[in-house]
Formats: sequence, C-alpha cells, structure tokens
Amino acid sequence: MYRYDEFDAAFVAGRTAQFADQVKRRLSGELTEDQFRPLRLMNGLYLQLHAYMLRVAVPYGTLSSRQMRKLAHIARVYDRGYGHFTTRQNIQYNWPKLKDIPVILDELASVEMHAIQTSGNCIRNVTTDQFAGAAADEIIDPRPVAEILRQWSSLHPEFSYLPRKFKIAITGAPHDRAAIRFHDIGLQAAVNGAGEIGWEVWVGGGLGRTPMIAKLINSFVPNEHLLAYLESIMRVYNRYGRRDNKYKARIKILVHEEGLETIKGQVEAEFAEVRGGVLTLPSEEVDRISAYFALPDFAAQTLTKIDVAYESIVDPAYGRWLDNNINAHAQPGYASVTVSLKPVGGAPGDATDKQMEVVADLAEKYSYDELRVTHEQNLVLPHVALADLRAVYDALVAADLAEGNNNLITDMICCPGLDFCALANARSIPIAQEISRKFAEPARQKEIGELKIKISGCINACGHHHVGHIGILGVEKKGGELYQITLGGDATEHASVGKIIGPGFEAENVPGAIEKLVDFYIAQRQGADETFIQAYRRLGEAPFKEALYGTA
Amino acid sequence: MSKEILTGNELTSGATVYLSAGGTWVEGLHLARLFAKEEAAERDGALAATKATGRVISLEIEEVDVVDGAIVPKRLRERIRAAGPTAPLTLHGQAYDRQHLGEDGHVSI
Repeated sequence: MYRYDEFDAAFVAGRTAQFADQVKRRLSGELTEDQFRPLRLMNGLYLQLHAYMLRVAVPYGTLSSRQMRKLAHIARVYDRGYGHFTTRQNIQYNWPKLKDIPVILDELASVEMHAIQTSGNCIRNVTTDQFAGAAADEIIDPRPVAEILRQWSSLHPEFSYLPRKFKIAITGAPHDRAAIRFHDIGLQAAVNGAGEIGWEVWVGGGLGRTPMIAKLINSFVPNEHLLAYLESIMRVYNRYGRRDNKYKARIKILVHEEGLETIKGQVEAEFAEVRGGVLTLPSEEVDRISAYFALPDFAAQTLTKIDVAYESIVDPAYGRWLDNNINAHAQPGYASVTVSLKPVGGAPGDATDKQMEVVADLAEKYSYDELRVTHEQNLVLPHVALADLRAVYDALVAADLAEGNNNLITDMICCPGLDFCALANARSIPIAQEISRKFAEPARQKEIGELKIKISGCINACGHHHVGHIGILGVEKKGGELYQITLGGDATEHASVGKIIGPGFEAENVPGAIEKLVDFYIAQRQGADETFIQAYRRLGEAPFKEALYGTA
Repeated sequence: MSKEILTGNELTSGATVYLSAGGTWVEGLHLARLFAKEEAAERDGALAATKATGRVISLEIEEVDVVDGAIVPKRLRERIRAAGPTAPLTLHGQAYDRQHLGEDGHVSI
C-alpha cells in the first residue's frame, strides 16, 4: 500500500490544523455560517437532516487494517458505533458533532487519511476495481496510476473551483467492475499494437438527472502522457463548462452539447501544448509509486482448488458463500473474498465498529493487511489463501458478515435517502430492507441468479438506479413517496441506461412489483444461464411492462 | 387552518430544533411556536434575531397542521426530521434515535 511521504503528511497536517482553527472561529462566532459553510464542505463536512455528516476519503477504496481500526474507533468514540460505506468507496459518519471534527481529522491524519475533496466542485476521490492487483483477468494493476492521480488532483490550484464536481474511475481489467463509463472520466487499461500498456480514455459519463454513457475520446494514451492528457481535458472543461446552471455544469453536458469531435479537437490542441512537458510521468517515479503496490510475497499453497459442490453438500450456507463471494485471483491458491454488507433486513453499506474491527483482524491475519471498499457498498479481503477460506468464513459468520449474496438480488446499492439526506425526496433504505426480506430465501436468490437492484431516493442518483438491471427511483408526489421502476441499466462494459417502465408504485407495493418482474423473467428465460439483463435485452421492454401492469 | 413554525439545526450538535413560544430553541416539535399567516412580521423578526445569534443554521419556515392538538408538519421530510430516521439500525433492530442537543447547544433569542 502507498505510504505518505513528507509532502502528503505536511499538507494533511496543515489542512487539519487550518480547519481546526476555522471550527474554533466558527464556534466563537468569529466566522458566520455563510463564511464557514464553504470551508466545512471543502473538508467533507455536510449538514444533513438530523445532524452533520462527515465523508472520509478512502483513496481508490484501499485500506490497511490499521486504517480500518481507526475508522471503527471513530465510529465508536465520536459517532454512534457504525459507519456507512458509499458508492464512492468512501465512508460516511452520520452523527458527528462539530466540536469533535478537529479531533476526528487528527485521528484520521494519524493513519494517513482525511476528508479533503470529498465535497465541492473539485476532483473527488478516484475510484477503481475492488479487485485491483488481485483479479485474474487484470491487464495491469490500476492503483499506482490511481495514486498518481490522487497526488496530481489533491489541492490542484487550477481545479479547485471547477464548474461542478468531477469524478474519475479507473480499471485495469477488461471486465468493468468500477462503472467507468458512468464517470466524468473513465480509464480502462489497453494494449496497443506494439504490446505496450496504456489507457483508453472515456469522457462525459454520469448519472444524476441526465444520465449519459461516456464516449471514447482516445483509445490509447501512453502511461507517460496520461497526466498531460487528463489535464488537457480538465482545462477544456474548466474553460467551457457551464457555470450559469448547476444542472448543466457537468462535463457530460459539455460533451453532449458541443459534440465529442469538437471537444476532442480542443483537448488535442491543449495536449499538443502540454505533451512532453512537466506532466510527463518519469518512469523512475512511476516505478517508485508502483513499488508501494507490489504484490505481497505470497506463500506457496498446496490447496489450489476448492470443491464447492462438495462443500455445498456438507454446509449449504458455506457453499453459497463460496459460490457467490469468492473472486478468482491471479495467484494460484488464493482468492479475493467479498464481505457482504447486505444482511437481510439491514441498511446496505452499514458496518458497526465491531464488524470493522473483525474485518481489520481478518485482513491482518489472512489478507496481507489489505482491505478494499467496493462501489457496490461491500468490503473485500483481496488476498486470501484458499486454505484459509473456512476460517475467514467462520469469523464472518460470528460477526453477521457472511451473507453469501454477492451479485444476487439482495446485494443492492442503496443511497441513504430521506431517512438522512437533505437532498432526498423519498426513503431508500426501508425499500431495500423490504425487498431483501421478500427475497431472503437463499434458494430463491440462487434461482434468480445475478440481478442488480439499485435504489436512489432522488434524481441525483447516488444509489445508481439508472444502471440497475432493475432501478428504483423515489420521487415526491403530492406530499408522499412514489417509486419509479427502470429496467435494463448496466454499469459494466456493456453499459446501458435503464428506462422507466411505467407509472410509479407506493412504497408498500414495490417489493411485489419486483417479484412480478422476477417471476416473469424466470418464466421466460432460456435457461438458468440467461441472466435477467440478458433476458431483458432479448425480450425487450414491452413484455416486462405487460407482466408488471397487465395493460393488454 | 395551517400554521407555520420555525426550524433549523443547532450549530454544535447539528440537532433539529424548533423555536418555542418562550423564545428558546428546543428539540420538541410539540413545543414549537405556531405562527398564523398574519404573524409574518413576528416570524421574520424571530428569524432575523436567530440568524444574529449564529447558533442555529439551515433555518426554515415550515407549514404544519394541528391535528388533535398535535403539531404535524405537512412535509414528510419534516416529519422525519422531527422523529429521526425511520429505518431500523443494522443488526440491532432498533429505530435510530435523533440527534440531541449537547450541554453547549442551548440557544435563545
């Protein structure tokens, strides 16, 4: 893992001290709320419905056990004993008090963490594949580049007041687990004709009120020129992105309105100016940072295969967990383990301080001290020997973290919704809870197979409903909550935006509506191997609509 | 006949608070001062006085009904703000409590 150098440590310490002074001045009345609000937002401190909310950055979703223990400690001492992991691979605390924020930031700084740039019109936390550096299908580990992007974008003076917030995602694998086509910039590892590794650059993707799939602006940018190319995009956006209307200020609108070719021409012109200059990545520096992400010195394993069928007979719950929560590892004898934060009836993404401690202990003992946060609001132990899977599973069972539901219908993305969020129009968590209860039966989940439900409590789409195979959007109607259902969204390399299928549903009718869609899919699929999204693409919208509304 | 109340979040704790008839900012919705439409000037005066303290933020005027003597905000958002989150807490099966004022969280105008 990356360790702070003296520059990182100095800027985080400086910023922490600066904000501590700003909090002190606010509490003394020296600063008004109008003066203080932009300062607190720059430090990740929001005001939600019931209390402040502190959003802590988890750079590219990577944590050590020491850092996870610190997050648990903060939850226990300064909050209410839990934290909420988000689709930005960050963690949010829902109940901190303003006077405690300086000491929380001090605690974070002691483990090389902070809350800087988790809000505001700047470049936010760079996100990536949760299996980066471990996945069997990976071309290159994207984390060194993600770290370089973190350093480049942190307190970048030119990009601290962009027209709007800016999100970058990067993946080193052909199978996109980081939703890169729904980010302002998405980067995907690519190999050119000479066998060199570089980056496909996608631009102008996003969700929110105007969902758009990113467009390929460059099919191969060499690693050494990546920063120069990205800075060129940022300059074009900073110059031409709209500042008169916040709903049209994201780069997706600029690309859409001006056209890809126009934007590409401007980016290329800028790139021609800066290419080969100070932003060229020296290979020694890339090597230096890459060294932090060198694979662990894996112990040789004699057990290189697990007989899941056998284990399923002996212990069905363990078998389900092996079936769903284990991802193939590049190193023989190892696997990546997804730790589900989606217990039946739970709030998706929430983990208690005790659970965080358990996962930290497991990372230290079984995963070379590494942890990941996924954009689907789960945790990952990236490097676990197959021989240790049973011990890890048993520890997770004891901590209520062993739900074997990864990628199944109960593994939902869900925003905090109107229970917490000042922007929301409708509740999200209770909807997710009811759906997970309805489909709690493991055999039913297995029968349904891969199905991604994503729930947002407003059009800002923090719950990624646009890219759910089934998306649920809560809206306000006549003072009450109503839920629109979308079908056909997909966040992967087969990116698509879901379409609203018909009139919305009252909250109590949403689980039943989902069941109708699921039953129809099972009745119509060409076999258990045809997933929901595949069946939807084959059959089209009309029969699903008919199944749901019976309009014929 | 609907009335109005004043609500906001107390600076140090962030807790939801209401202006009471006694001029203090309190946690209990049931203690909120009800403003009739024709009391707009007094309402705005109270808002201005509160802003001057700097101790209550995100100030809003909310419409409420009085139902069987109880104050009921018209907006669901405000009903949730008054009562706390509705979703049960993971693994504990209990409702999230709302935020409470700390020792240094009491504000008067």
